Amino acid sequence: MTAPATNLQKTDAPVVASVRDLRVHFKSKAGIVHAVDGVDFDVRDGETLGLVGETGCGKSVTARSFLRLVPMPPGIPVSGSIMFHPRQRCTACDGAGCVACDHTGRVVSTCPACSGTGCSTCEQTGAETLDLLTIPERDLRSIRGNRIAMIFQDPGKALNPALSIRKQVAEVFYAHRSDELLASAGIDPSSHSLPTGLLRRRATQQSRTLENVLLSLPPLRSRRSAITAAADDRVAAALAETQIPNPRAVMDRYPHELSGGMKQRVMIALALACDPDLLIADEPTTALDVTVQARIIELIKELQQRHKTAVVYISHDLSLVRRVADRTAVMYAGRIVEVGDSEQIFHEPEHPYTRGLIDAIPGAHHERGRLAAIEGTVPELIDPDPSCRFAGRCDFAAEVCWTRDPALEPVGDRQVACFIHHPPEHGEAPTFDRTAR
Amino acid sequence: MQIRDYILRRLIVLPFLIVGVSIIVFGLTRIGGSPVAIYLSHEMSSEEVAEIEARFHLDEPVPVQYAYWARGVFQGDLGWSGVAAAPVTAVFPNKLAATMELAVASAVVAVSLGIGLGTYAGARRNKLPDHITRIISISGAAMPLFWFAIVMLIVFWVYLGWFPIGRSTPEVFASISHPTGLYTVDALLAGNFKAFRDAIWHLVLPAITLGYGATAIIARMMRSSLVEELQEEYVDAARAKGLAERLVLRRHARRNALMPTVTVIGLSFGFLLQGTIVAEIIFRWPGLGRWMADSVLRGDRATIMAYVLFTSVLFLVVNLVVDVVYAYLDRRVVLGS
Ligand SMILES: Nc1ncnc2c1ncn2[C@@H]1O[C@H](COP(=O)(O)OP(=O)(O)OP(=O)(O)O)[C@@H](O)[C@H]1O
Ligand code: SF4
Ligand SMILES: [Mg+2]
Ligand SMILES: [Zn+2]
Ligand SMILES: [Zn+2]
Repeated sequence: MTAPATNLQKTDAPVVASVRDLRVHFKSKAGIVHAVDGVDFDVRDGETLGLVGETGCGKSVTARSFLRLVPMPPGIPVSGSIMFHPRQRCTACDGAGCVACDHTGRVVSTCPACSGTGCSTCEQTGAETLDLLTIPERDLRSIRGNRIAMIFQDPGKALNPALSIRKQVAEVFYAHRSDELLASAGIDPSSHSLPTGLLRRRATQQSRTLENVLLSLPPLRSRRSAITAAADDRVAAALAETQIPNPRAVMDRYPHELSGGMKQRVMIALALACDPDLLIADEPTTALDVTVQARIIELIKELQQRHKTAVVYISHDLSLVRRVADRTAVMYAGRIVEVGDSEQIFHEPEHPYTRGLIDAIPGAHHERGRLAAIEGTVPELIDPDPSCRFAGRCDFAAEVCWTRDPALEPVGDRQVACFIHHPPEHGEAPTFDRTAR
Repeated sequence: MQIRDYILRRLIVLPFLIVGVSIIVFGLTRIGGSPVAIYLSHEMSSEEVAEIEARFHLDEPVPVQYAYWARGVFQGDLGWSGVAAAPVTAVFPNKLAATMELAVASAVVAVSLGIGLGTYAGARRNKLPDHITRIISISGAAMPLFWFAIVMLIVFWVYLGWFPIGRSTPEVFASISHPTGLYTVDALLAGNFKAFRDAIWHLVLPAITLGYGATAIIARMMRSSLVEELQEEYVDAARAKGLAERLVLRRHARRNALMPTVTVIGLSFGFLLQGTIVAEIIFRWPGLGRWMADSVLRGDRATIMAYVLFTSVLFLVVNLVVDVVYAYLDRRVVLGS
């Protein structure tokens, strides 16, 4: 499969989210684990950004940080920001796509502090800017599952075994689309009468036992059923979008009654239900059968294009990421070591670690049979010294690599963190010529 | 299997189990000597004793005695209680009502407090509420009931005088009729608030005392299973949907955490029933437990057998209910396999 032709246009697409100097550590008996230790990258509107790296390098922690799902404790939030620019439905075309919204159907929400003229909160962009790591819990909840959604590695674990598929998908609509549900049920959401209050609490899942009793009796009963029916319609439509056959029947099933691929489709339906700006897919096919993997990948791509959603696609498989991602960020031991266009990275890797990864793919660059695995193991992430994290496994490491930390800096269209590309101010720079092989 | 089929199948097995249990207990009541002693007094001549033995078929071999007893059960005759000086069937309903009222009240205390405390502690793991709950639970599980009951009695009845003992105040008891024998229900049926308050007032101390041990067990189970469930990925997935933490806790984690707890609740009901014997003696509660204790001490076989019959049925029904509730909570469970 070749790279999507849209690659080059995507370079100047607006940024949906930018991660800056993200550091998340963990307290452990042996010391502080620097699981994510200074990660920087941008996700652009509508693109797929691949995040690759070996197991334990901090991919999931980075992903979970977007929605503040890293357990704290043991996690320690050290520093960093994740600036998110939410979008809203384009009013000119009502989401159909027009020139004003660049055919995405969505436009950037304007900064409420300056109404779009540019101020310090939005860094003069005029776009609404939220730091996901610091906004209040309430605001974060309205983003979770709505503007930013997440798919997990194992759908068997991410679905609640005790609740039907219907209930689990409907929850998203109750959480973020209660006004629409009320409107579909023929109830004026802006009314302040007591029955509407009760129904609104029902549509936002706040009803307590006593209220539920009231709602199950006439005269509220029929309107309550209308809300449920409105939610059911949306659940069925969301499931149908992921090509689940016979969605109305699947709705009444429980997770254990579905296959792994089916469960992941449910997770995808759930994630895309509210048309998010950003979808974070943490190894969405790793737990699935090989035969199912390809179909799930295709489905994510297809839905992404239809919804114009930006995707962060996490995987430890570089050749898979090359297929799905427009751009790729390579992660090593809690850091991003190289970011850029997927094809470019694949054909001319700049960072020694990326080179090693590509060499390790059978038949990628070499004659058949040549398999070059990277020697050595990932370094201890516990209280690391200031040095290049890769120095212990790097064929080109020089003196400086052991005493200084290379920063992620531009190299052509790309960014690379290696002294070969950015010679240090003092000391001899490493070069690709000085191979130890 | 359908839940209804499962219940039916279990109910069919019930009589066989009861026959088995009753045979064993019938045999055991012979160990303390002949059950005839309860019917005798010092003035009786040996002819009179023989006559009584013949009347109660005690001169026959034990298996024949059992057959007579079983025939009686089928005819609705559970024998003569020497302790109550009346037919067992005449005394049983009232005693049963007293015990059930106490057991249900304790169960309500234990289940609501246990689940509530366990959830509260589990959601605040290693914080102060969790530590306090742990102390409550460990003391509840470690204290012998008879000792705890005596302490409660001394503190709340003797010193503070906050709660009465016994089952009701005589004047209040006489003021209403008692169609069900459950004093709280009778008071409600009569629409008599004073009687209702009196019934509740008498219930509080024994119910809390008796329920404390079960509360401790249920709270501990609930806490640990909730802590476990909260680590599951579906909890994070629920948060990732944008659900309020209250919903994440109640609808997602707690529901799954209840599954192992339901089993423990079923078990602790047995524990409660056993406890009624001690609690009824100490709080002068005129229920089955106290009657049973007297009957065991005096070798009143008819009463012991009636009690055994009743508890076996109750246990089997409770187990059945637990299975069904469990299957309802956990859809992966296939009943009967
Ligand atoms: N809940 C946690 N408690 C303690 N340490 C953790 C926790 N979660 C992650 N870590 C640490 O953070 C490091 C990075 O973990 P992370 O799950 O992000 O790796 P990953 O790149 O997603 O790996 P994988 O490919 O195996 O999913 C791990 O090595 C682990 O030591
Ligand atoms: S900085 Fe040095 S050790 Fe690190 S990757 Fe570059 S050459 Fe290798
Ligand atoms: Mg991971
Ligand atoms: Zn438009
Ligand atoms: Zn602004």
